[in-house]
Amino acid sequence: MKQRSLLLWLYALLVVGLPLAGLFNAFLYSVGLVGPLSVGFTPRYWQQLPGETSLLTSLGFSLYVAVVSVGLAVILALVLVLRYQTTLRHWPFPTLLYVPLLFPSLVMAFYLFQLLGGSGWLARMAYQLHLIQSPAGFPELIQDGAGLGILLAQVGLAFPFFTLLFQSLYADARLDELRNLTRTLGASSWQFNRRVAAPILLRRAAPTLVLYGVAVLGAYDIPLLLGRNYPQMLSLYITTKLQRFDLTELPMGYLVGFLVTLVLMAVIYATTRWTQRHAL
Amino acid sequence: MPSNQSTLDEVVRANPDTKSRAGLPGSMPRSGLAWGLLLLFSLPFVLLLLLALGQYWRFPDVLPPTYALDALTRVLSADSALASGLLLSLLIATVVAIVSTAGGFVVARAIAGATRPDRWVTLSYLPYALPPVLLAVLIQPYFIRLHLSGSLVGVVLGLLLITIPFAALFFRSFWGEQARQYEQLSRTLGCTQVQAFRRVLLPLARPLLITCLFQTFLIAWFDFGLTNYLSVGKVQTLTVQVFIYVGEANSRLAAVASLLLLIPPVLLLWLNRKAIVRRVV
Repeated sequence: MKQRSLLLWLYALLVVGLPLAGLFNAFLYSVGLVGPLSVGFTPRYWQQLPGETSLLTSLGFSLYVAVVSVGLAVILALVLVLRYQTTLRHWPFPTLLYVPLLFPSLVMAFYLFQLLGGSGWLARMAYQLHLIQSPAGFPELIQDGAGLGILLAQVGLAFPFFTLLFQSLYADARLDELRNLTRTLGASSWQFNRRVAAPILLRRAAPTLVLYGVAVLGAYDIPLLLGRNYPQMLSLYITTKLQRFDLTELPMGYLVGFLVTLVLMAVIYATTRWTQRHAL
Repeated sequence: MPSNQSTLDEVVRANPDTKSRAGLPGSMPRSGLAWGLLLLFSLPFVLLLLLALGQYWRFPDVLPPTYALDALTRVLSADSALASGLLLSLLIATVVAIVSTAGGFVVARAIAGATRPDRWVTLSYLPYALPPVLLAVLIQPYFIRLHLSGSLVGVVLGLLLITIPFAALFFRSFWGEQARQYEQLSRTLGCTQVQAFRRVLLPLARPLLITCLFQTFLIAWFDFGLTNYLSVGKVQTLTVQVFIYVGEANSRLAAVASLLLLIPPVLLLWLNRKAIVRRVV
């Protein structure tokens, strides 16, 4: 018993203690108490926070990427699972859907970089078809302001995973039987999908979708290759500030890191507690 | 209840048309959908292979003018960065997989026996679900003080902060009432605690242990952000090398490194599909 609680405390110290200590250290940086240019307590960086327009842009851009990519992937997966239910159970789909999960996000980003870039594969095909005259004539699909490349990479990685998830939840919830029941009661296929199946699947998948959204919000690899310097996603915004030669940027970098981590931890905490309460 | 579902599945397996007759959707554009997805998912392999094998492939050529194996054979040369990156990635991912699977197994047991297991489960999610780069940003100041920044040990330790909670969450379903009863039964029959663990519980958990080994291996194998940040570019795993080659506009070697990164997951998919999907949430 004693051994077990010692192990748990060691575990807590390592996996929770270290990140929390890092969070505390980031807070101390943000109020000027530690760091190479520390001059004692100052609320200066916190006061400067509302004026950091690049931070607000970065936050907005990250939220936009997370919501749009998870939203699109969910819609695609729902359409596949509800519209092609029988088809998905047959060869080659049960294996085929696993294929995109083999790709590290950096490799997916590199692939899209080579496919969609100005001199990429699609641009070469467009040139041969006389659709463009030079690489500059090809539309900006990567490193663009709207984050199209980032969205495509995230959706490409997420929708097969969500399809497999919904497919498994569909079987667990015995939706085939519910479908037959609703058909007997006079509901159309569309009504069943909209009023019964989609709400059940989305409710059961909600914790996973939220945690996936958190992962996309903090994504680093994909925006590093497919994103622009402005607007940047949050992880890139923070690491850029911390890795600059300008040491005066450090407190603001740690302040943003502190706040983002705190918010994400609160979201993760709330999601897992909600999952436990509802036994999902 | 599960039997109803399996009966339904058996009926469908025996006669694929049954469901469409029963009013279930999606009986048709099977081949169209299959070809569409097959094209979508195979395109990355085709493009990466063309990039790795093609020589002097410049705009506006759609296909490389010549092909050569020189970039691929670099992997076999002992002094190449690709070979060392491959070995480094294998070493890191293997160590992380073994330590975190073993650690997660015993931690999950301790969590199951704790007075408030739910709290420990919630705590375990925090480092696991937090974006790895943010975790690296938080712990880096301590790693610098401990001289772990830029070192192999630092990268392994950083990855363990993610994979041990993952493994602990993975094994929580194993340490339920059934495992406890098996352990008690074996103790009643005369086993020592160590014997019960080695001869009863470990064999019982073997399939889960193997899946967890695969999954933690893949987490470490796929990682780029945490490794690159904590190692300040000094520990050049394959993912770090992909990024370096892209920065150098060397798409041939970036493609070779990318293909190397795909080998273990493809093998795992071939061996066991479940090893690919993280079934924690």
